[in-house]
Amino acid sequence: MSYLLTTLTKKKEIDTIIRDTIDKVLVLRFGRAMDALCLQLDDILAKSSRDVSKFADVALVDIDSEDVQVYVKYFDITLIPSTVFFFNAHHMKMDSGTADHTKWVGAFHRKQDFIDVVEAIYRGAMKGKLIVNCPLPPERIPKYQLLYKDV
Amino acid sequence: MFLKILPGKIKSSVKPNPNPNNELTPPINQKSMKKKNKKQKSEFDFCKVCNRNHDEGQRHKYFPSHTNSLSKFFSRFQNKLTEVRFFLKNPSFLRLELASRNRLWCVFCDCDIDELGSSFACQNAINHLASGDHLKNLKHFLWKYGGGMDRVDAFRISQADIAKWETKCKSLKSEAAPCGGTSQGLQSGLSNDIHKEPDYENLNNYEKNTLHHLNSNISNVVMPLQQHTNEYQVSRLEHSGVANVGSNMHVITSTLSVDPCDGTSLWNANNLMAYGNGAVNDSNCSGDVSHNKKGANQDERVFSRENISRGLQNITQISSFLLREAGGNVHSGAPPPWFEETQGDQLNVQLNQVSTLNKSGKLKLNPKRVGAAWAEKRKMEMEMEKRGGIVKSDCDPNWLPNFGRVWQSGSRKESRKEFEFEKQKQTNVHSLSEMPMEIKPYVSKRMVAQYLVPEI
Repeated sequence: MSYLLTTLTKKKEIDTIIRDTIDKVLVLRFGRAMDALCLQLDDILAKSSRDVSKFADVALVDIDSEDVQVYVKYFDITLIPSTVFFFNAHHMKMDSGTADHTKWVGAFHRKQDFIDVVEAIYRGAMKGKLIVNCPLPPERIPKYQLLYKDV
Repeated sequence: MFLKILPGKIKSSVKPNPNPNNELTPPINQKSMKKKNKKQKSEFDFCKVCNRNHDEGQRHKYFPSHTNSLSKFFSRFQNKLTEVRFFLKNPSFLRLELASRNRLWCVFCDCDIDELGSSFACQNAINHLASGDHLKNLKHFLWKYGGGMDRVDAFRISQADIAKWETKCKSLKSEAAPCGGTSQGLQSGLSNDIHKEPDYENLNNYEKNTLHHLNSNISNVVMPLQQHTNEYQVSRLEHSGVANVGSNMHVITSTLSVDPCDGTSLWNANNLMAYGNGAVNDSNCSGDVSHNKKGANQDERVFSRENISRGLQNITQISSFLLREAGGNVHSGAPPPWFEETQGDQLNVQLNQVSTLNKSGKLKLNPKRVGAAWAEKRKMEMEMEKRGGIVKSDCDPNWLPNFGRVWQSGSRKESRKEFEFEKQKQTNVHSLSEMPMEIKPYVSKRMVAQYLVPEI
């Protein structure tokens, strides 16, 4: 658990933060605080949250809480950690060559990777695009198998 | 480039064909000829004006980039020539120490002209510019780089001019003879400064008389240096051609301190001015020299100089004794005079402008961004909440953000609908599952059928 980033456990809280973040990218990490990969990601998020603070806000969502399950379902979160990006209450997609464009699955290799991703999202959002391309080279994008629905 | 092959021109035998390849069929012949005309690949040539190599051949001199470079080129050389022309009209003696610093590069002849052996200022340069070789080179240059043949006279000295100059030089020499080969130059070497005009006239009157006194007396007077003699400054002054206050002073001191037997420095208008002033103000020589300094101090501040040297522009020095040193200037970080008048207003206005610019900058970027409408709406709401204390923050608990789901095709609204539908289904399922299960015995269809049949 990161002491620098706000952890959200309720749907209302998530709603509030989504609605109140205006003209900034909102980075929501869905995961568990104890999971190893989540910890890695949280570490990177915490360290770079200040760097991107001018154009992004970062928050963590605990998927183990009851209230949040709606969002877990709504966002089709099956693998953790998953990071979802919002801009002005609109969901931003990123095409990183993986199967799922709606979220970022896994951790980042470096702080700079995260910053680059957020920057790409911000730039795309400012131009009015809902989906952007991932600026990272394929070797730095975590790979995963996405199972179809409930299969 | 469209090649129109007219039927009339197909007969190659009739048409005079400069193309030696007569075996080619007529249409191709034409094409190749035209191609050759277009793609004339000439040897690479170096253009002195544009300072680059090109393979455009004879066409190069008509290109606009070349004409631009050419005009700049000419103006630069003209500036250098103005000084020479000045000395053409007003010949003056050249001091030996300074002779080594005078050089002129003639761009037409590609040669350096120095003044090592000359007794008059710019003598070698003047002679060169009047020479036949230079004229020849000049014409060739104009032909090659195109400048219009009417420019020939601008870059050379005609025979008449040089004749006049020579007579003037002779007269100077003869005047100098009784003096032991010293000074003349007061009449020459004056800057084009309006401030100095009256002095110039005076100098002309005094030239023959007072200077002799001056020079003879100077030889006895050794003035302590009031400014440091910086020879480098002197040379820079000559070559840079920019008004330089400090160097003026240096020149004055250097000339004063030097052995007068060499003749006063006629090369520097400064000195001339200084001497001139001294001559004007005071006939007493020792007094002259000291007065000179003072006069020079004031003068060098006032007059503009140096165009005589490689002068680029007539930079006039603004009278600095009016300088508001008390008030401060840019270098001391003082506010500008107009600022002092309306201090507060200006500041505020500027700040406001800046802030509005910033805001407007943001606004300009924004309209097309994602969720712009939402953002605006939300901002309004938030402002209203802040102001009016309206609690609008509690929104629908079923509110969901705009999300495009993974396994969904179609718009995001559809995805939300789908989700809602799924949710409902789930809740129904849940509610259904909650009902207590009634356990009933298994009744097969056959049994039911059997059961039912006898009734009929």
